[in-house]
Amino acid sequence: MENNGGSVVAMIGKDCVAIASDLRLGNQAVGIASNFDKVFPVNDKLYYGLPGLATDVYTLKEHLRFRVNMYRMKEEREITPKTFTHLVSSTLYEKRFGPFFIEPVVAGLPTPTELDPHPKPFISTMDTIGCVTTPKDFAVAGTAADKLYGVAEGLWEPDLEPEDLFETVSQTLLNAVDRDALSGWGAVVHIITHDKVITRTLRARMD
Amino acid sequence: MSGPGSGGAYSFSLTTFSPSGKLVQIEHALAAVSGGTTSLGIKATNGIVLATEKKSPSLLIDPSALEKVAPICPNIGFVYSGMGPDFRILVAKARKIAQAYWKVYGEYPPTKVLVQEVAGVMQKATQSGGVRPYGISLLIAGWDSHRNQSLWQIDPSGSYWAWKASAIGKNMVNAKTFLEKRYNDELSLEDAIHTALLTLKEGFEGQMTEQTIEIGVITVPTPEQMEEKSGERLPPTFRKLSENEVRDYLSL
Amino acid sequence: MVSKAVETPNAGFDFSNYARNEFFGQRLQGIPKATSTGTTIVGVIFGGGDSGEEPGVCLGADTRATGGPIVADKNCEKIHYLTPQIRCCGAGTAADTEFVTNLISSNLELHALSQGRPARVVTAMTMLKQYLFRYQGHVGAHLVLGGVDVTGPQLFTVHAHGSTDKLPYVTMGSGSLAAMAVFESSFKENMKREEAIALVSRAIRSGIFNDLGSGSNVDVAVITKNGTENLRNYEMPNERGLKSRNYKFRRGTTAWTKESIRSLIVSEEIKSTSGAGKDQGGVEVVPVPTGAGAGGEEGMEIDS
Repeated sequence: MENNGGSVVAMIGKDCVAIASDLRLGNQAVGIASNFDKVFPVNDKLYYGLPGLATDVYTLKEHLRFRVNMYRMKEEREITPKTFTHLVSSTLYEKRFGPFFIEPVVAGLPTPTELDPHPKPFISTMDTIGCVTTPKDFAVAGTAADKLYGVAEGLWEPDLEPEDLFETVSQTLLNAVDRDALSGWGAVVHIITHDKVITRTLRARMD
Repeated sequence: MSGPGSGGAYSFSLTTFSPSGKLVQIEHALAAVSGGTTSLGIKATNGIVLATEKKSPSLLIDPSALEKVAPICPNIGFVYSGMGPDFRILVAKARKIAQAYWKVYGEYPPTKVLVQEVAGVMQKATQSGGVRPYGISLLIAGWDSHRNQSLWQIDPSGSYWAWKASAIGKNMVNAKTFLEKRYNDELSLEDAIHTALLTLKEGFEGQMTEQTIEIGVITVPTPEQMEEKSGERLPPTFRKLSENEVRDYLSL
Repeated sequence: MVSKAVETPNAGFDFSNYARNEFFGQRLQGIPKATSTGTTIVGVIFGGGDSGEEPGVCLGADTRATGGPIVADKNCEKIHYLTPQIRCCGAGTAADTEFVTNLISSNLELHALSQGRPARVVTAMTMLKQYLFRYQGHVGAHLVLGGVDVTGPQLFTVHAHGSTDKLPYVTMGSGSLAAMAVFESSFKENMKREEAIALVSRAIRSGIFNDLGSGSNVDVAVITKNGTENLRNYEMPNERGLKSRNYKFRRGTTAWTKESIRSLIVSEEIKSTSGAGKDQGGVEVVPVPTGAGAGGEEGMEIDS
């Protein structure tokens, strides 16, 4: 975790979810890159973030891309946020005694179906060996997790509209990351709504 | 159709094509299926029925120990025609496949996915050394949130189809003709169960009773039933009818 | 069989990262800690005798999950489903309790299907202890197992190394001492159902308030031969106070440098196909105006 640094936060809003990460890649205290995106799309309305050891970010990302593509072809449907969380979780637990140093965060809007016409926005997070928590408010992970918990606990409130959620998640990330030496160097925020995904790169401290 | 022996030198090596492009052992497996007791399935608007004739070769056999309709996981059930021992092997494999899927995805497999997996198992027995094909055809009924209720058939070759209604086993030709006449797209599950019994009655040898009939049904769940409650599982959508329930349907 | 190997990792664990991680552990400031459930979990047997009530088992758990000194989940579920009539409370490494109960639940379902009858609690206990013993305590699941089967109510504890106990009242986890203090002073044989629920929730509350590893709410499950009643968040003695003011930021507070909007609305333009071959208007995504510059105001809507 502390080797490369980096943090991710996700939040639930009113018919929307947000997921955001910093952009730093470090070699311990030395900054290496400020364009290291840790949040990746699975499909239109499902994103996930992988803060942790950078080599494992790539390994796990490719591994999951393979398994999601196999799922998509075999099942002829898009994976739901809940099922994807299970998939990530079982992938991590497979390496129970030699884990990936990654604490994934998942954020998605389930597509309405006949049986569930008004699905709730979904976020989840896991520890390095795949123990899932599915909060109703926000999920945090990475080297600034402690700080993110504190800030998010204070700033988050229910039923934020997409633009308000953007402000809340951005301020949470920016302020937490400013007190973490291993995170920062820019930030990117994704707001997922039913008809669009807004991606914004934030103006942040670069020290 | 080539009968036993007519394939000449090609009858015995499972993995060698005859010059006409046939794998004769697979045709022999199909012959084993056509010798088996009749089974059928009908898809309705709100469910599916699987029904089969359960014939014991002797009066002295305890029929309650025979099981031809098998639950695989809460949303999928099997019925077969052909060789009982082969069926039980496939049921055990299918149940393991369903549980392996559950452990990865936290939900039971959609019907089509399980069908493809089981069909894969059956296909493998037509292309491997030292084995023979499974001597059964399967009818598979299932419900899933993606495709709702669906009814499938798998043959010993590993080929599979989705049906609105189908029959396998000894009386399949007559039964299918009967189903073609009786089937319509507005059939309810209750109607389908009665149609299934009527179809079985055609060409049934002996008395049709709750001991000689086995029925399994898929019922489409309501949104309330699909609501997840903490610490509980979703109610099953596949279940076998009890002897009492079968008796009630027979008496109507 | 590529698909088998890749998609069903059901046969054991993968140790391929083990050596690398040992190296990391020595060179760097250690490996990250897994979420654990500091936990108070308890169970009692009640009913029967001259209580005039159906004999049964009452299980209880707190709802705090911790990662080191951080509360990772304020309302997690520690009473795990095994079968309709058997539940299992988990303490220790959270992922291990989750996955070991899922695995045994899956095997019990196969067992019930092949035997044509519901599995017994001793069967669940034996499967759990044999699995845990095999991993010599490295699978860190400490469990309270309870349920009702043909032999009546059954209650066990299973330790991570594979040892088990069979007792009328049990506690486990870091709050086990606090909870056991309550049981030792107040447990009676043949309690009424309501008495048992009250005793269990008092024992859990004792853990919640006196043990740092336990906290938040009380979960209870009551199992009799008539079925299982899940009393999720039976008591909520630690609800968060309402914020009387909010910290909502004014829109435009956060400065951003770049924006891209991916429209998920596909607009189709239908054109006559009489001139087929050229100028075919297929599916056309309406281009999205992309705002750029610091401080995006409202009005970033797209026209669709």
